Amino acid sequence: MRRKTMTGNLLAKAVALMASVAMAVTVSGCASISSTSGEAEGTIKVGLLHSMTGSMAISEQAVLDAEKLAISEINASGGVLGCQVAYQEEDGASDPATFATKAEKLIDQDGISTVFGCWTSSSRKAVKSIFEDYDALLFYPVQYEGMEASGNIVYTGAAPNQQIVPAVEYLIDQGYTKFFLLGSDYVFPRTANMIINAQVKAAGLEVVGEEYADMTQTDFAAIIAKIEEAQPDVIVNTLNGTGNVSFFKQMAEKNYTSDTYMTMSFSIAEEEVSTIGADILKGHMVSWNYYQTTDTPENEAFVSAYKKAYGDTRVTSDPAEAAYDAVYLWKAACEKAGSFEVDKVIAAIESGDISYKAPEGTVTITGSNHHLAKPVRIGAVGEDGLIYEVYATDSPVEPDPYLETYDWAVSAGIKPLE
Amino acid sequence: MRRLKGNHICFTVIAVMLACSPFLVGSSSMVQFLGKCMCYSIVAIALDLIWGYTGMLSLGHGIYFCLGGYAMAMYLRLRDNGGALTDFMQTGGLTKLPFFWKPFLSFPLAMLLVILVPGVLAAVIGYFVFRSRIKGVYFSIITQALTWAAYSLFIANSKYTGGNNGITDFTSVFGSTRGVANRGHLTAMFFVALAALVLVYLLASWLVNSKFGKLLIAIRDGENRTFFSGYCVNQYKNFIYTLSAVLAGIGGALFVNFNGSITPSQMTIAYSITMVVWVAVGGRGTVIGAVIGAFFINLCEYNLSSGALAGIWQYIVGAIFGVTILFFKGGIVGIVKEQIPALFARLQSAPAAEKEKKEAA
Repeated sequence: MRRKTMTGNLLAKAVALMASVAMAVTVSGCASISSTSGEAEGTIKVGLLHSMTGSMAISEQAVLDAEKLAISEINASGGVLGCQVAYQEEDGASDPATFATKAEKLIDQDGISTVFGCWTSSSRKAVKSIFEDYDALLFYPVQYEGMEASGNIVYTGAAPNQQIVPAVEYLIDQGYTKFFLLGSDYVFPRTANMIINAQVKAAGLEVVGEEYADMTQTDFAAIIAKIEEAQPDVIVNTLNGTGNVSFFKQMAEKNYTSDTYMTMSFSIAEEEVSTIGADILKGHMVSWNYYQTTDTPENEAFVSAYKKAYGDTRVTSDPAEAAYDAVYLWKAACEKAGSFEVDKVIAAIESGDISYKAPEGTVTITGSNHHLAKPVRIGAVGEDGLIYEVYATDSPVEPDPYLETYDWAVSAGIKPLE
Repeated sequence: MRRLKGNHICFTVIAVMLACSPFLVGSSSMVQFLGKCMCYSIVAIALDLIWGYTGMLSLGHGIYFCLGGYAMAMYLRLRDNGGALTDFMQTGGLTKLPFFWKPFLSFPLAMLLVILVPGVLAAVIGYFVFRSRIKGVYFSIITQALTWAAYSLFIANSKYTGGNNGITDFTSVFGSTRGVANRGHLTAMFFVALAALVLVYLLASWLVNSKFGKLLIAIRDGENRTFFSGYCVNQYKNFIYTLSAVLAGIGGALFVNFNGSITPSQMTIAYSITMVVWVAVGGRGTVIGAVIGAFFINLCEYNLSSGALAGIWQYIVGAIFGVTILFFKGGIVGIVKEQIPALFARLQSAPAAEKEKKEAA
């Protein structure tokens, strides 16, 4: 009796499993519909792969919301190639291995070839080879440390030369000479600081300190003491997450403002300002491609649509905007290709003609490395918690993920040989 | 004896179903996922040996899983790039391969290290921990602390370990396992993992039913009495702890073949506790329960964490765990073996009693 029950259970489970697999296999997208028919029927399904649980959920939610907003706008205006866009959400659970499992599930089991997803570099790196092996397409919406250019990924956030390098250039132009590098202990800050070290030294200036804090560190007394001892003009800050809250609060407790120690941060956007507090961050500098205050008609529409969909208290940020752009860029690429097939879409992307009038200004996919040419903006935190532009490049900056066009970077051997 | 037979029959059914799955399941991602589940099952069995049978709750088995995984990943990475420096080493400023990466150029050495690294670490830790007679909740805390320390170490030394990005961009021992063209590789890898799972299951079953296994249970149920009966409890505990670490390492080494990458998030405390959940839900102290639990929880996660349920799936899994702990201490195996028969017995005895009553009247 016992045995029978157990085998029965398992058989039922197995049948359910097979059934779900069979169902998934039979799902077919709008891709089969001829694009020339021009009839608005069928749907094309895309994947949204972000952390909806775990430590990254709070950051990735904004990005996910922006992607859904773009999809619903596109559907309202007739879809892509006459197809309505449907999406399937998968939770990466802030764990790279789960991202890998889910990416494979989306592509292979659910037959979805285009995915918008990831935030952390570790999750992107975990899924990169999966997208390459299955020849699928990932749109990655966050600025990152560069040193990568996969043929199956479109990077819609900034490459290092569209965030880090211009920010340091700006600081040098402003007459800062003594740099202190502070970061969380993981790959982005370490790579960023390797770049900044090379850049500052090439300019004949000085890095007076380089410190790393544990990802979950909350006590910055020792690091602040080192900063006091080194007496830098400016702190280049690549802390991420909760580290920023503790660091800036402890600086404020010592009455250090942006007048005593100016900081330039790469991971503080509108959302983080509201967490840390505008009174503490007032006057400090950040570097991104987009702010909620960016003055374009497209941004006005984007901000009001975002607030209308998700509430007045929500703020837009650079990653959210880059995710929003990603969906529209995919639409443009499909329309140019006249197809949803990945090979044709990638060919369209690599033609270099795919551009979109984004809230941050016109962005264009550079065919050779799948990154975007985009404007760079240095901002300062205002008293109201928003970030205001203090400097912007005249025209979009061409992406250079390996910094091959910078002599100082080439001579410092920044591009990995592998 | 009859109970045991039920276990083995159940495992045979699972193994046969698994063996058929590469031929029946169309999507290779599902086969890939089942492959990962087999690796999880191996870790779960390893954990069951020390927790279910010996009563030592390790909340840090992720460390051994990861060490095995990294050892394998280091070999595969070097094989795939021809023994050159990896990108993270170059970013970290290294100019030649660190000495401790060199053994991973050779396949036999790497396989040896998959077993030796977790084994030796566990033996050394076990020696000190068990000699100091640390047990119960203090043992659990120490295992957590060690895992946290190892996690921080891996993150901080990114030029040697790849930091939080871990080691990526490698294929399995047989080559790429993705897509229709590489189905053969996937099937081969799948059967290697299945063979490992069967061997680990047989080893664990044999061990716990031998005299040695009875001693483990004796240690669990009355450590002092076992000690005063003249058994060297420490050595038994250290042996089973080390064996468990080695098995977890093998699970990790197989896992990276399916996953294609390894990061320190597999050695976090949270992940190590997830492993405990597998065993608890399946039913601890049964070996088969570990296998069932690992498959059940992971299949739940896999199927629940998308679409509408994506935001709340963790509550569902949490509820399953909570209900199991509160009402079904024996987990799934306990429900099938104890609760359901008890229910039947009650149902059968009720009419029987009525009948008796009638007859008496």
